[in-house]
Amino acid sequence: MNLALTDPFILAQDYPEALTGKLRSGHATCLRFNRRGDFLASGRVDGTIVIFDIETSGVARKLRGHTRQIQSLSWSRDGRHLLSSSQDSKCILWDLSDGTRVRIVRFEAPVYIAELHPYNHLLFVASLFEDQPMLVDISGTVPVKRQLPTAPRRLRMEGEDINEKQAAQDAKQSTCVTIFTSLGNHIIAGTSKGWLNIIETQTCAIIHSTRLCAGVVIFLRLTASGRHMVCNASDRVIRTIHVPDLSKIDLDIDDISVEVEHKFQDVVNRLSWNHVAFSSTGEYVCATTYMNHDIYVWERGHGSLVKILEGPKEELGVVEWHPHRPFVSACGLETGRVYLWSIVTPQRWSALAPDFAEVEENVEYIEREDEFDIHPIEEIHKRRLDLEDEAVDVLTIEPAKSEFEEESFSMPVLLDVGDSESEEEIVAVGPGTMRRKSPGEGREWMNGAESGESGEDQGTAKRSATNGTKKSQPKMRKR
Amino acid sequence: MPSTRYSKRRRVSSPAKEEPPAYNSSPDELAASSDHEKYHSHRAPSKPLREGRGRKRSYADIYSANSTAVASEDSHSELAGPPRASEEIPNVLITAAASGEDSPDELDHTTPTFFRRPFRASFSKESRRPHEKFTSQSPSPPPYSRLSSPIATPRTPLIRPPQYEPYKEKLVLKGHRKGVAAVRFSPDGRLIASCSADATIRIWETATGKHLHTLEGHLAGISTIAWSPDSKTLASGSDDKSIRLWDVSTGKAHPHLLLSHSSYIYALSFSPRGNMLASGSYDEALFLWDVRTTRLMRSLPAHSDPIGGVDFVRDGTLIVSCAGDGLIRVWDTATGQCLRTLVHEDNAAVTGVRFSPNGKFVLAWTLDGCVRLWNYVEGRCVKTYQGHTNSKYSIGGAFGVYGGEDGVEQRACVVSGSEDGNILCWDVQSKDTLQIIKGHQGVVLGVDTLNKEGLIVSGGIDKTVRVWERVREGAGDSADPVGAAIGALKVCEQEAAGMA
Repeated sequence: MNLALTDPFILAQDYPEALTGKLRSGHATCLRFNRRGDFLASGRVDGTIVIFDIETSGVARKLRGHTRQIQSLSWSRDGRHLLSSSQDSKCILWDLSDGTRVRIVRFEAPVYIAELHPYNHLLFVASLFEDQPMLVDISGTVPVKRQLPTAPRRLRMEGEDINEKQAAQDAKQSTCVTIFTSLGNHIIAGTSKGWLNIIETQTCAIIHSTRLCAGVVIFLRLTASGRHMVCNASDRVIRTIHVPDLSKIDLDIDDISVEVEHKFQDVVNRLSWNHVAFSSTGEYVCATTYMNHDIYVWERGHGSLVKILEGPKEELGVVEWHPHRPFVSACGLETGRVYLWSIVTPQRWSALAPDFAEVEENVEYIEREDEFDIHPIEEIHKRRLDLEDEAVDVLTIEPAKSEFEEESFSMPVLLDVGDSESEEEIVAVGPGTMRRKSPGEGREWMNGAESGESGEDQGTAKRSATNGTKKSQPKMRKR
Repeated sequence: MPSTRYSKRRRVSSPAKEEPPAYNSSPDELAASSDHEKYHSHRAPSKPLREGRGRKRSYADIYSANSTAVASEDSHSELAGPPRASEEIPNVLITAAASGEDSPDELDHTTPTFFRRPFRASFSKESRRPHEKFTSQSPSPPPYSRLSSPIATPRTPLIRPPQYEPYKEKLVLKGHRKGVAAVRFSPDGRLIASCSADATIRIWETATGKHLHTLEGHLAGISTIAWSPDSKTLASGSDDKSIRLWDVSTGKAHPHLLLSHSSYIYALSFSPRGNMLASGSYDEALFLWDVRTTRLMRSLPAHSDPIGGVDFVRDGTLIVSCAGDGLIRVWDTATGQCLRTLVHEDNAAVTGVRFSPNGKFVLAWTLDGCVRLWNYVEGRCVKTYQGHTNSKYSIGGAFGVYGGEDGVEQRACVVSGSEDGNILCWDVQSKDTLQIIKGHQGVVLGVDTLNKEGLIVSGGIDKTVRVWERVREGAGDSADPVGAAIGALKVCEQEAAGMA
């Protein structure tokens, strides 16, 4: 409702300009806005999930249940459920109405990315570390896991007999990222050899495969409309891709074509990209850079770089763009702080003084003939009251442009959430000596029976602090 | 010195009845007086403090003019006490408690002058009767004519106009030991909260009037309360400078107080999502709190007098605040910037403000005895409601609705308390007085509506909370034009009775 009063020049601005805020609660490694854009979920190194309220910049809820670093977060459409995946090989579906765990799904391997179905919060896909991706149905208390294929579907014309070398190569591939299309009928998967597979959700069969690049597909993300996709790959190129319309009834799977629209790269410095995100409308693409402190923002229409957001003196990991506003959040790799960029709105002084107006240049004042006429005060008042005869409607609520109004879920406001600053990972071990709390310390009870197995994959799942984004791991493995 | 001033102030007495002056004396007042001195010694105009413990806000104390204050004939008997000579500070003036005889010219009484600014206009008694038409003889168009559209009563003929069904008294809730400053229905309509100068809040059941809890903990009178949108938490602002949050189901206070204000809390409002609380105080500050952590999130500057009211728009993006300086400011919640300032040329102190149900208008109570409806986007006053008396207290009110059944248009009305003990109900569109609800003895300070149930709750300095129920006169009545005409006639009679 503030749009009518906001400066149109500010409304016209599409991308953020300056660092405007910070959020802090532990060491965040992973971020995700909910669809409405009022909450930002952040996953921490110690496995805690912190949900920030964007309006208050405070902690709205803390969810504890994972024992290792959170890898990905995914909100349900109505914002009531949140799916988290972690290096402790678990995915947890949280109910935010009371903070309980609806389902806990354990895998054989650490999870890269788990993504909820856009309409069904009891169905998700998970891509696993050195394992086949899974489509998991959690509508029952026992999760039903279905393995998804990785080997790309090659066109028949390449020869009826698929040669052995190719088959062996395909077998070595693994899927690094899986996401649902906007309707959820298909899954798009990126593999470690640069293939993009489109998988039908119903049948779990690959209906189309394209080779995008030679490197690893690290990350995929759709726009809000689902028509475009951004792909971050280890060949230091960010690609925006037209997603084919897969909802057509007479869809011929041989006609599907995946077109790359733009390639964004830094030719001079050969920067590689930690993480990418679309703007709210999909008009812009932003990316955090490897071994660098900046966020690059490109315009998708022309494919040109429009802004480099300077921020803190630290390398940034996951970056997320707010679903409606020119507002970007990213987390620092070293400190784990969440940084926020947005537009700085100057106070318009004319709003404070109703008798004044801001003008571009001097305007000659023309006095009205009657301006200083003196009328009896009572007459003025009566006349004024008589003129108040216009129709006013104080009741009719204009239908909102967004569909969020009818979504009824709103997270309860808890009055006993700890201060966002209170949970430091630094613990005092002696006089003057401090040490960083190891992730999951003090919460061994959460491991329960599976503490033994989780101890084993600790070595593989652990990552160094310097190149610590989760996506860079496949790259390291390949070398 | 402070004590003498206080004792003077405490001299307001109730009407003929032998009730002790409920709202004006409390032991902690004296205790707090040194604080008053401390906080306000630098501000001469703010010095004289209100007598109404119950209603914090006897603004007239602050803004009272040398001239006599407005007090309609009705209220004369209620507010007794001779005029006082001004105290040592020149612009600290007489309290507005005007007795019948100290108005030198009944016909030419003026609104209390807003201090530091020239007095510019007065409302004649005639102008209080909004339906009385005035024919302008002036040849030149008034300077503000371009602002008003010339459309007259554009009613949609497709649906029948509704019949106003008057409110009747349903419950009288007694229990407060001092005047009741504010009453609020919970958003789910199940409960009523009332706060009082006796430093307690009482929770009542709407349907039965059963007293459920007494929330005790504040050290001084409570001026304002606000329900959280989930109806589970109640916030209260007190003269002890603290804001408390209460768990209504248990009646227990939240362990953390919201402390930052340096003076009395006058106004509170929860954001629609319940995550923020806006508070306005006598210390001229408007604060925005993070409810979860009870942390002060933001301070919105730019009022230069005690803040009288604060409200969130329905989607939470705007906050409106008003102050004794006569300004109504609209703020952007996200950036904390002032987006619009509304000011009426009289600069009368604004003591209460509310957004309309659809968030497009702002309703403001001013101490010149008017309730004004502002189109805040265009920055102009679109309606002025008059007929009540309001020159001294911060009086509450709300939007109500009537009609709205099948085939009947739903119309809005404005419900407000009055210093003469009445509750007035105006049609938003025509500005006509629909009903004058009588019952309270003395000033009605808090009024709230529960539109889906057709209820009004009111609280006054007579220590009672009263619930008023809309009387449905049979389902067939509203469809019958004769009945509607009779209904209209009744309203007129009531109105006439009220005027007499």
